[in-house]
Amino acid sequence: MDFRLPPESVELAEAVRAYLAGTHGPDVLRQLDAGGNRDLRIWQGLVEMGLTGLLVPESEGGLGMTLLGGALIARECGRACLAEPLVDTALVAVPWLIARGETGDLAAIAAGEKLVALPHAVNPWIADGEGDELASVDPLRNLVAAPEDASDDPLLLDLGALMSAAQLVGLAEAMLDQAVAYAQVREQFGHAIGGFQAIKHKLADVAVALEFVRPVLWRAARAMDDGLASAPLHVSHAKYAATDAAYLAAESAIQVHGAMGYTYEVDLHFWMKRAWALAGAWGDRNFHYHRIEDAALGGVHSLGPQHTFA
Amino acid sequence: MDLAYSPRQQAFRQEVREWLAAHAPAERLVTLERKDGFDQHVAWERELASGNWGMVTWPTEYGGRGLDLIEWLIFEEEYWAAGAPLRANQNGIFLLGPTIMEFGSDEQKTRFLPPMARGEVIWAQAWSEPGAGSDMAAIKTTARRDGDHYVINGQKTWSSRASFADWGFGLFRTEEGSQRHKGLSFLLFDLNAPGITRRPIRQLHGDPGFAELFFDDVRVPVGNRIAGEGEGWKVAMATAGFERGLMLRSPGRFQATAARLVALLREAGDNASPGLREEVVRLWMGAQAYAYNTYQVAARIMAGGSIGAEASLNKIFWSELDRAMHRAAMHLLGPAAELQTLPDGRANEWLEGYIFSLSGPIYAGSNEIQRNITAERLLGLPRVGAG
Repeated sequence: MDFRLPPESVELAEAVRAYLAGTHGPDVLRQLDAGGNRDLRIWQGLVEMGLTGLLVPESEGGLGMTLLGGALIARECGRACLAEPLVDTALVAVPWLIARGETGDLAAIAAGEKLVALPHAVNPWIADGEGDELASVDPLRNLVAAPEDASDDPLLLDLGALMSAAQLVGLAEAMLDQAVAYAQVREQFGHAIGGFQAIKHKLADVAVALEFVRPVLWRAARAMDDGLASAPLHVSHAKYAATDAAYLAAESAIQVHGAMGYTYEVDLHFWMKRAWALAGAWGDRNFHYHRIEDAALGGVHSLGPQHTFA
Repeated sequence: MDLAYSPRQQAFRQEVREWLAAHAPAERLVTLERKDGFDQHVAWERELASGNWGMVTWPTEYGGRGLDLIEWLIFEEEYWAAGAPLRANQNGIFLLGPTIMEFGSDEQKTRFLPPMARGEVIWAQAWSEPGAGSDMAAIKTTARRDGDHYVINGQKTWSSRASFADWGFGLFRTEEGSQRHKGLSFLLFDLNAPGITRRPIRQLHGDPGFAELFFDDVRVPVGNRIAGEGEGWKVAMATAGFERGLMLRSPGRFQATAARLVALLREAGDNASPGLREEVVRLWMGAQAYAYNTYQVAARIMAGGSIGAEASLNKIFWSELDRAMHRAAMHLLGPAAELQTLPDGRANEWLEGYIFSLSGPIYAGSNEIQRNITAERLLGLPRVGAG
């Protein structure tokens, strides 16, 4: 029993965090928003980092990482508010294709030559798909209606939900960081507003929420790696809790920014809108709640202190 | 990461389970906030010690089993699943014990730890004073050096367990005229020493769980000081870290409450509103999240890490989770919530638990203080008004 994250996965995530922080700041989001929404140079950079091949087996030119390692990277994509379809392609489609034994495209995906956005019956719309664009609140989402013959495969749903939860955690962490940075410099009444307890306590609540979402996320990823029968419950727990943490982070961050937070000028809105979009994707809060309720109240899943890792 | 228990850990769980099944009191004990109940709980501490279960993580020479934190978590899970009593010994084994282990001399370890593990000496805390609550550095009670003794004068309050306990520990001002967190020392004292007057305080539930302590020229040997003179603040902060952190509230306790709450919801059937249903499910999720987090922290500590200001996040989370679980139970009980004894003859543990849960966000450093610590030390927000 050792619930620490694998050091090599953490190191890679830290490298990705540093890379995205250096190359994919808010200015990049603004350029994308000004036109195009996608940029081949950003994608090429992700490919060169090896990120398109994260979960692709080494025999197919990838890194062969676990879903847990993938979730750590999805969290970084959320933190950077990455718009390129890396998570959908490399962290959702790839493991699903591998599970189905459809390995034909893996080498091309790892090489960055093929982007995959898999539709699922639970998603009425899909980002980076084919068709007439739908207007999403997220200006960088590239949303279209989903095809009607989409798969309803439960594994695909769990993969999408897990990686959405991971992005929501990263988005929430970034929003907390932005609110803290603003509260450190914005002065009123002769003090930085971050010195006032009304601000401190609001942001401390976000820190508490995140502290108790992260281990749920790692638990869910590991349960999927291990193929546990209870994995869907853990994934739903992660998605539900990450959704609440992201909404709390967004509302707290905008409040701390005051009227500035209500402008298009402050960066916060990109993160907030991505969070709203992902909260409803791959099973919304109601969907995941019902899965948790069925498991927790239905008598199938063992409850109580002797069943922490059931 | 490895989320499977080893064969050794599984065997240990089985051993704990069997011992508790054979020894845990069948009848619910009287509340330990009353003298008769306190005596029952102390008897249970001694029963635990007879099986060498007093504090499993301590070295064997001090009455423990030398086990690691994962085994402690397993012990706690089985303990709460078995419905075993609250620990009268909690201040000693979870707070003072680790403090002595870290800061005490070998002589102090030998003198104080084994009787603590055996439940022979029950400890009370003595931090707060009438003018020093959340602002603990405002302590005024003095301990003046007189040869190989300190002479204590002043007053402590909200002293947990002090109505019935044997010994106390706390912070005293040993340097005359010193200010704030300077000049304080951490002292252990016999609650029956001449010059100490205990005045039990009737608590919210009507029983005298904590007490005021009046010190009138109380002589305490210098050998009862933990760490150096004037180093008390550092020692107390470490104790407060244990209290808020890993030890005081193991997740098993909240998981057991959550499981009972789910059972109560099932009994309520269609009477429970959808909102209350979702609340119960959310609270069960919270108890699980707390357990996962604790396992992560335990693994980190076992690998040589430590728990710092993150302990404040823990304290906020478990205390508000506990209160919310009991509040939900009060709503589920409906008109029966006010009854001390439920219509089926059982004591209304939810009512007692709800009242107790209201103290969680206050003691061990109020949650407002914890939120300040979180904001300042973890998030890096500025301090205002405290220098």
